[in-house]
Amino acid sequence: MSTEVALVTGASSGIGEALARRIARDGRALALVARRVGRLEELAAALRSGPGVEVHVVPADLTAPGACPELLAELGRRGLVVDWLVNNAGFGTNGRFWELPVERELEEITLNVEALVELTGRCLPGMVERGRGVVMNVASVGGFVPGPYMATYTATKAFVLTFSEAVAAELAGTGVEVLCVCPGLTRTEFQSHVAVDTGILPELAWQSADEVADEAVRAVGRGAVVVSGLVNRLTVNAAKFLPRALVARIGGGVLRPKAG
Amino acid sequence: MARTVALVTGASSGIGTALARRIAGEGRDLVLTARRVDRLEALAGEIGGQHQVRVEVIGADLARPGAPAELVAEVERRGLEVEWLVNNAGFGTGGRFDRLPVARELDEIRVNVKAPVELAGRLMPAMVRRGRGAVVNVASVAGFGPMAYTATYAATKAFLISWSEAVAAELRGSGVSVLCVCPGFTRTEFQETAGLDVGGVPGVLWMSAEAVADQAVAAIGRQTVLVTGPLNWLTSVGMRLAPRSAIARATAMASRRRTG
Repeated sequence: MSTEVALVTGASSGIGEALARRIARDGRALALVARRVGRLEELAAALRSGPGVEVHVVPADLTAPGACPELLAELGRRGLVVDWLVNNAGFGTNGRFWELPVERELEEITLNVEALVELTGRCLPGMVERGRGVVMNVASVGGFVPGPYMATYTATKAFVLTFSEAVAAELAGTGVEVLCVCPGLTRTEFQSHVAVDTGILPELAWQSADEVADEAVRAVGRGAVVVSGLVNRLTVNAAKFLPRALVARIGGGVLRPKAG
Repeated sequence: MARTVALVTGASSGIGTALARRIAGEGRDLVLTARRVDRLEALAGEIGGQHQVRVEVIGADLARPGAPAELVAEVERRGLEVEWLVNNAGFGTGGRFDRLPVARELDEIRVNVKAPVELAGRLMPAMVRRGRGAVVNVASVAGFGPMAYTATYAATKAFLISWSEAVAAELRGSGVSVLCVCPGFTRTEFQETAGLDVGGVPGVLWMSAEAVADQAVAAIGRQTVLVTGPLNWLTSVGMRLAPRSAIARATAMASRRRTG
């Protein structure tokens, strides 16, 4: 007898961790994936101490070649079936593109785009066969607009947004839901990894990872895209009616790396 | 003294071949790359005879990790300096995503997204140092919104548009430009490769690869996003303003009707 799980990638911190906690609250069994096994074990222990949720820890570096099929094979060995796939793992780089190490840019595409497409491609056939399942892809409001000084990051999110919306439309009527979650500024470790000066951004624009996770889980089954937070929804809608070059310049003003 | 060249990927057919001819017409020396070296050699002989330019051929399969780095190393070994990088290589897949072979979808991401980013990352620093150069990315009108039944393809093109717009903004004042070319239906081998049935597409929507290449080369250094042809331009504006979910649903319905 197999157990259906929600597979959450990048579950060791930030929105991924918040999503794992929020999904566990609904009583779903979890498989947590990230590189940092210590952090995953801590989270798993915390979740298991709550009302009887089964939590599996599966450490993996999804930028390594072959990591996705290996991860799914490991789940299979443990008798786990992916009912919810939460593609949350991802990172951003910040700076003038030609000054950034190209290997890191490629890793960013491997994780944010390739791993997401590969896990989706390998999990969907089973979901469609069972006539139910959820694929939740974490993108960003950056996916709606070009982001100078975070060019590759915002482009990966534009990919995830477009891909998710298209596959959601293809799967209408199959019982499988595809949801693209687009958070804006979220208080996580993400900002400390990129050198963006977030001090100039108004308090109102920020959300906590828990708020994003709650909106995301409640949006399942209600459309292909959820932009979390009122300010973010307003921004995305306003940006649509402005020239893209202007939007790029505004974005560049916010994202430009600090001098020195 | 290094010789300055334009490097054209995917030059063995379609828009790539047309771009190579058109760039040779500007009197620029060329490096042509693709998998099919015999076709490149024939084209090189023909172009070199017609225009007083030198044309070199380097075989490369850009779906293979490591191929872009080897290509750049080979260009350097031959003492060539890339002033124009034309990222034209790409292909599309058609069908419901959950039924398509995952490996081919991942190849599509490597050729359409990773190879352009890697080539740009390896060649752009020298362009910026010299204070001149151009990167031309060939995307598609399909990149302006979610396209069901060609989800990965449209997403790779959305990536290229977003990325090009962002990097172009970063490069302002550097002497180096980025142009993203977005053709619509173009008479090439593309539709056959993607397995698309385009019999119902009205003739007025089609352009020749030569017309696309003419407009593209004329736009280098002058604009960032070029949608070729007035009808394609109208389509792109409509796609940007329409609700994205409506585009996804409309493309899904159109595909289901065609395939029955």
